[in-house]
Amino acid sequence: MPSPLDVTDLPFLREALLEVMLLAAAGGLLSAWVVLRRLAFFSHAVGSATFPGLVVADAAGFSPLLAGLAVALGYAGGVERAGRAGREPSEATALLLVAALAAGVVLASDVFRSGAAVDRLLFGTLLALGPADLALSAATATLVAIATVALGRTWAAIAFDPDGAPALGLPAARADFLLLALVAVAAVAAIPAVGALLVAAIYVLPGAAARLVARTVPALLAWSAAFALAQGLLGLYVAYWLDLPPGPPVAVIGSLTYALIAAAR
Amino acid sequence: MTAPAVVAEGLAAGYGGRPVLRDVSFSAEPGTTVCVLGPNGGGKTTLFRALIGELPPLAGTVRVSGRPAYVAQTERTRLDFPVNALDVALMGALAHGRWWLPPGREQRAAARAALERVGLTAEAGTPFGELSGGQRQRALLARALVQDTAVLLLDEPLAGVDPASAQLIDSVFAELRDERRTLLVSGHDIERARGYDLVLCLNGHQTAYGPPAQALDRATIEATYGSELIFLDEHGAERAVTVHHHGHDSP
Repeated sequence: MPSPLDVTDLPFLREALLEVMLLAAAGGLLSAWVVLRRLAFFSHAVGSATFPGLVVADAAGFSPLLAGLAVALGYAGGVERAGRAGREPSEATALLLVAALAAGVVLASDVFRSGAAVDRLLFGTLLALGPADLALSAATATLVAIATVALGRTWAAIAFDPDGAPALGLPAARADFLLLALVAVAAVAAIPAVGALLVAAIYVLPGAAARLVARTVPALLAWSAAFALAQGLLGLYVAYWLDLPPGPPVAVIGSLTYALIAAAR
Repeated sequence: MTAPAVVAEGLAAGYGGRPVLRDVSFSAEPGTTVCVLGPNGGGKTTLFRALIGELPPLAGTVRVSGRPAYVAQTERTRLDFPVNALDVALMGALAHGRWWLPPGREQRAAARAALERVGLTAEAGTPFGELSGGQRQRALLARALVQDTAVLLLDEPLAGVDPASAQLIDSVFAELRDERRTLLVSGHDIERARGYDLVLCLNGHQTAYGPPAQALDRATIEATYGSELIFLDEHGAERAVTVHHHGHDSP
């Protein structure tokens, strides 16, 4: 078993550690808004929906991040339009999610024969995190922090009373779409480390656990950031120790945190 | 004569497809209170959503002086949301622009003053979900007061509210009226409607508009409520009572 000091001696682990901390910052703040705005299912789906784009990018040799971003933003737009047309948003989300996963599987197994790459795309990796991945995570964390400061009051007011928000003169539709788009970008940023299927571990679990203990929005953000950092660091350590991709241990630790708090209440 | 604060002419509104509400024509001067009566599904909420500009008219026009404050039914606002009464009142300050800045001292003072006005000074720090139904409605009213608008729209503010809260809310309504603001308040209580300046009856379309003494005759009430209505004939005077359902008025 490695001591925590060994961890930072290995260059790839230093990068993984930095990635985990950047994602924790983004995920901690964003997951708070995700649970307040009830976008948990959307966040899970938007990560999974990028899967066919990632498969095509992997096979065709162009940037999987750009492909993922294009698919995720298109998906966010589709869900937003479906919701505006008055359809039940979770139905639209589920429909698009299933279609995207099925398309990804067909592409991966029959068209491109992607093989081992599929595992990495779905569950993430500790190794091979490049500067581009870190840069996207850093940009995401910065964007989320700026949006939290500038839009926090607006998001809270809309999430608290979606029916009454338009009368407050808030740009509700635009603020909502910005949140969906941020979740989409953040999901793509998290895919190299935790994989397309487990992005909800970062963008839902910390906020969901924090929701159980926080009584104000600032407290929710603080708790959520703390949970995100704890599950990220612990998850990374367990991943290295058990030779796993980091996504699953982060997800398990996040879920356990939620379950323990819920049980203790 | 002053310009009316709210005008609707031949308004039809709905959610795509057939209008839920049609043929609505009324106007309200500044400083008047209008009770919007009608059965569940009669179009009260639809009218409010058209007046705040959320539903574009399918026919006709609406005009409201300034942006109105709107208190939607509380059932639809979440009880487990991590905000206290002061946070809710402060949300009203977002209507004054500069929503990207944290609330300043003036905004906090306005929110505290509004809470005091609705009798929630002691509950400023109480989580919204731990307030009673009447207190929650008063916190939302405080948010509307902070918004400081010429027109206020309140969707069933007295549904499920304790008598003490109802009395407090009524007295705030009277103050707002004295301040020359225009109030549109929806509800089910025909007796309470008699205390308003004007009554607007809706049942998919406008069935009456005018002072309560004229608008609330038996024919209009029957046209508005149909089978939801029971007439009581006690103490000589005839009294109409509607069958009350909670929280099923949308859309």
